[in-house]
Amino acid sequence: MKRLVPTAELTLGPFFPPEFAEGANDLTHLDGRQVPGELIEVTGRVVQLDGKPLDNVVLEIWQADAEGRYDNPDFFGWGRAATDAHGVYSFRTIKPGGRAPSINFLLLYSGLMRQLHTVMFFDRVELKEVKHAERLVAKKEGANRYRFDIRLRGEGETPFFED
Amino acid sequence: MAYVIRPRDPRTQPEGVVPGYSQTAQRWPAQPPARRVHGAAELSGPRGLTRRLAPVRGDLAGTGDKRAIGQLIHVRARIVDEDGAPVAGALVEVWHCNAAGKYIHPNDDNDAPVDPNFYGAARMVAGEDGLVELRTIKPAAYPVPGTGGWWRPPHVHFSVWGRVWLSRLVTQMFFPGEPLNEHDAILNAVRDPQARQRCIARLVPQENLLAYDYELVVRGAAAAPGMP
Repeated sequence: MKRLVPTAELTLGPFFPPEFAEGANDLTHLDGRQVPGELIEVTGRVVQLDGKPLDNVVLEIWQADAEGRYDNPDFFGWGRAATDAHGVYSFRTIKPGGRAPSINFLLLYSGLMRQLHTVMFFDRVELKEVKHAERLVAKKEGANRYRFDIRLRGEGETPFFED
Repeated sequence: MAYVIRPRDPRTQPEGVVPGYSQTAQRWPAQPPARRVHGAAELSGPRGLTRRLAPVRGDLAGTGDKRAIGQLIHVRARIVDEDGAPVAGALVEVWHCNAAGKYIHPNDDNDAPVDPNFYGAARMVAGEDGLVELRTIKPAAYPVPGTGGWWRPPHVHFSVWGRVWLSRLVTQMFFPGEPLNEHDAILNAVRDPQARQRCIARLVPQENLLAYDYELVVRGAAAAPGMP
């Protein structure tokens, strides 16, 4: 059977509707109820080559529930946030379970012709395919707060995945 | 059913750093991205996104004294995967500028008028046939500041979700016959002419309006039987 070629991705551009970027960064509640698990905040700053923090970057996440499952109907592991004028994003979520707990990140932005994928880990991780895997480990800041900064390009560049 | 995501074909996808589009050189990673084996995370959901993102509007044109200024158009977009199978229930976000080239956005400082009857953002859910229908007005071209004369051709932004995490697709739909298409740094960042052509909607003649058909192919296909 002939397969179709996926449509070319093209940049999000600078005018993603503000209403689309709001209100989807809290994964701790679903249908009005709090989801089971350890509540955490994940926050960070997104910068470009010259170190400038980026405003209005769209970040989407996909994560497992507290047991490491992606198919739990009582937890919805998807969220979206946008950075503020200081380049800072934030998610409220629960700590995912599983063997190497992690949160998948997808970035969309003006000047990014295609989506970028990366992964945030909570603990030290060995990934043979990734140089500087240590940059994928969030810094713990307080009891329930994790910081995951993203540098798109330049010194200290965040490792990204090509799928 | 097992689902597979094959590597992107670089000819049919845009370059990361695009000549004439200076921000790409500040933002596209310099290090080669790592390849990885896909597991549960990459090949699962999200399904049922309306639990977090509510559908809003499917009509941006309005009627009567609330009618937006511009040529009325209907865009019929179909979401399919690489097997050509419709993605029933796919969530589709759309946004575009008004008939004067102005976006409803705080970052748009283009000196073009706002149309009080036009709000350029819609979020729709595809039917069983993978189709969404948008009633709107045709967006105009607009200049990109600080680029010495780069005008974006009329286009409509699309953001869609396929069956799995790696099927996410954000792109732009262009209009046929627009002279600016062949000069646009973004559209022409796709090297393969056929892949570029598929970014351009097809005009479907109709009596009272301009109708366009557009197909979005999201990544992913059913694994061949017997394949791991």
